[in-house]
Amino acid sequence: MIGLEKAGAQRGRRWIFTDISFMLEAGRILAVLGPNGRGKTTLIKALAGLVPLSAGRRIAPSVIGYVSQSIGADIPYRALDVVVMGRARGLGLFGAPGAADYRAALEALELVGARDFAERPFDRLSGGERQIVLLARALATGSPALVLDEPASALDLANQNRLLTVLSEVKRQGRHAILFSTHLPQHALSVSDDALLMLGPSEHSIGPTRAILNEINLTRLYGLPVRRVTLEDEGRAPIEIVVPLFAGATP
Amino acid sequence: MSLLVTASGDTPQKRALPRWVRALAVLVLLLVAALTALCVGRFQIAPQKAIAILLSRVSPLTADWSAMDERIILLVRAPRVLLAALCGAGLAVSGAALQGVFRNPLVAPQILGVSPGAAFGGALAISLGFSGFALIGAAFAFGAVALALVGVLARVEGRSDTVMLVLTGVVIGALFAALVSLLQFLADPNSSLPAIVFWLMGSFSAATWARLGIAAPGVLAGAAMLWLMRFRINVLSLGEEEARALGLSVERDRWLVFAAVALIEGAAVAVAGVVGWVGLVVPHAARLLVGSDQRALLPVSAALGASYLLLVDSLARSATAAEIPLGVITALIGAPVFAALLRQTRRKELAG
Amino acid sequence: MSCVGIVGGAALIVASCAPLRAQADCFGDLAGREVCLPGPAQRVVTIPMPSASTFIAVDGSAQRLVGMHPSSKRAIDEGLLGRMFPQARAIDASVAGVGADGFMPNVETLALLDPDVVVQWGDRGDDIVGPLRNAGIRTALLRYGTESLARGNLTLMADIAGKPERAKELIDWRAATIIDIEKTARDIPEARRLRVVYLQRAASGLAAAGANSYYDFYIRLVGGRNAADGLAGAPAINAEQIAQWDPDVILLNGFEEKLTPARIYDDEILSATRAARERRVYKMPIGGYRWDPPSQESPLTWMWLADLLYPEAFHYDLRAEIAHAYRLLYGHTPSQADLDEVLRVQINGDARFYDRFAASASK
Repeated sequence: MIGLEKAGAQRGRRWIFTDISFMLEAGRILAVLGPNGRGKTTLIKALAGLVPLSAGRRIAPSVIGYVSQSIGADIPYRALDVVVMGRARGLGLFGAPGAADYRAALEALELVGARDFAERPFDRLSGGERQIVLLARALATGSPALVLDEPASALDLANQNRLLTVLSEVKRQGRHAILFSTHLPQHALSVSDDALLMLGPSEHSIGPTRAILNEINLTRLYGLPVRRVTLEDEGRAPIEIVVPLFAGATP
Repeated sequence: MSLLVTASGDTPQKRALPRWVRALAVLVLLLVAALTALCVGRFQIAPQKAIAILLSRVSPLTADWSAMDERIILLVRAPRVLLAALCGAGLAVSGAALQGVFRNPLVAPQILGVSPGAAFGGALAISLGFSGFALIGAAFAFGAVALALVGVLARVEGRSDTVMLVLTGVVIGALFAALVSLLQFLADPNSSLPAIVFWLMGSFSAATWARLGIAAPGVLAGAAMLWLMRFRINVLSLGEEEARALGLSVERDRWLVFAAVALIEGAAVAVAGVVGWVGLVVPHAARLLVGSDQRALLPVSAALGASYLLLVDSLARSATAAEIPLGVITALIGAPVFAALLRQTRRKELAG
Repeated sequence: MSCVGIVGGAALIVASCAPLRAQADCFGDLAGREVCLPGPAQRVVTIPMPSASTFIAVDGSAQRLVGMHPSSKRAIDEGLLGRMFPQARAIDASVAGVGADGFMPNVETLALLDPDVVVQWGDRGDDIVGPLRNAGIRTALLRYGTESLARGNLTLMADIAGKPERAKELIDWRAATIIDIEKTARDIPEARRLRVVYLQRAASGLAAAGANSYYDFYIRLVGGRNAADGLAGAPAINAEQIAQWDPDVILLNGFEEKLTPARIYDDEILSATRAARERRVYKMPIGGYRWDPPSQESPLTWMWLADLLYPEAFHYDLRAEIAHAYRLLYGHTPSQADLDEVLRVQINGDARFYDRFAASASK
């Protein structure tokens, strides 16, 4: 479906990452984790075909449902018109979207629960709403691969939850392979099947999320102590949480 | 799937008038402008006579007008009205499309160096003693040369990004502006110099059916191409990376838009000289009316641009016995209107 | 021997120069300044286009002219003046450019020519005079555009040449011609005053000379009316405006080389004007200088126009007048072919009333 094979990318002479290989199938989610500047965005863009690989190769469908990190606050179109742009490639050079394309766009909005945004100007939506609409656009491309660059970075807790819910719903339908990067191990724990830890330019760990997001790996990854605990909450199933041990916060 | 919508408080803006009403108003404006342009002029012909002369082309009417009346309407004003409307529409859609592609409302067709290039071509033709079709051909050819130069020079490692393009456009524009100055320096002060100076200021005074026939294919082909690419331009306006991620070959699409703009600009400069500001100001006004979507913006810009140049040209040729240079009026109106539009756009943004 | 010779020669030079230096010539130029020359100028440079031919006419030779504007040179090379004064073709014409800013003198080129005086425009700003003053080059400034300035320019040229009597002679001719024309023009009834348009530009775009122009002056002098007298200066106009004026006569400038009456006759609108219908479209002649602007030959322009506008009232034998004037101005008798060329018989020949300028019509 989508993946990399011994892939490496350079900026100038410096290697951002080397020798990354994985293959993601439909119905699965891969989370990419790593500290700032470790090349998460470069990896995501390489997968989306926006950054050329210096080594190895990329295996991907012709169109990727890509959601960038910088969400354009200056896009002056209706949300629906933004979503329908996902259809651009299929429309050809001189094409304009027709009824079928708008139907697909509306379906995508429906899928992410943003049907109500359709008529609203995109640049008047909040950051979280835009992120959701762009996810709908990624779906509207019809691509079986979704690649999201820190989709939750600008969102408040409620919107983070909403995005994660949408992702797991899309996953549940089983037609998409989803890859996203994040700063929050908790996001990976809650929705992803696999995780890729970018420990260094040539050092990566990839494997089932639950196994790989252990305390040792996370502590190494972020350079501060991280605990993984199970939280028992009354009336709910217990959930696993990741807690970074920040300074302070002593009672 | 029931997700709470986190409404951020703003409801869709209630607009004073629905979009189609505004589109209709623009169309009516165009019609009024065209009729006004046909009826005013230094040669006095009553408006009803003017319209009757026009109608006599399609239905038999008894002529109560002189041969001169008929010639003025059919040979002077009709082609001039059509040419002004054509160029106004062309320049406005060029501006709208470029502003979309560059995601920058300050971009005008001059930015790609096409106008200065075409201006040089025309000035060269005049100083070599050519007029008419040779002039048009030279203006067109050098407009294309300028664009090609921009294309070649802005291309580094197989790609040309926006900043590089704009800067290269400025450089090439400056180069051709200098060449125009050189021509003016070398021109015969008795004959070609005043002709060059007047031509550079822009005018439709030489409009004929033949000239219309020369300009129309270029302008119409360019405008048709932009119209066909209307949705592509929308996608391009998301920015290079977004557009590429959506599967577009940004480089190629952008150059197709530029080629269409060069076609329009070259043809317009060739027959009317350099008429500035239309491509900058009109798309702004159109955006205020119907928003940024090229599918509405292009036709509304075209109608507004045509109306605008029609009215400006009517003023230019009938306000005084002397022909007022078009570029002077478009700049005198354009600069303050543009400033006002900028402020209004900004205020709208801040309010949003 | 040689020593004595040198001393003797030097003495001779001193002796011959002394009286000249004593009678240092001072006169006013048209900018109201006083110009003082150590004597009649021997090396003159002219930058205004018409001045070269004026100076040659006043001086009756091209020997003292050492530099001129390239446009003046071109008119001389192409016109009759170059044939009347072949040595004029060798005069330096690199003292200024031709186009925009074309009157900015090249001071170093000028300094090489070592002129006694440089004639420069006095009504086009100080920028084109300053560099000359700065380089210590003596200047005489002229102004342009009216009959009285035209006479002033003749006087200035004559003062520079040290031949004030020439100015008087040429000005007397002008004054006498004006009196003679006015005598007849006065009796033309208002209703018969033809409406004339002078097209200062027609080959590319159209421009007509308005009120207060020199063209306006001589159109009115011969009893016509300037149809474009609502204009100021010579602005661009459109064909529709000319149709509205519907002039009786159209005069085409002599500057645009490729311009012929066909421009009017082939134009769908202009060909419908009364002037075109009656074939009264004339291209201005070119003699020692172009006949349109004020020059030493202006009285010929007036007679030419008078003859063409009112052939029944005026009876100048123009070929004879030209021949007479050229003997006076240039000391040269033009051939019949020269006269045809001056009058542009080839271009104007089939225009109405032009047959009166044919060689056969002249006595």
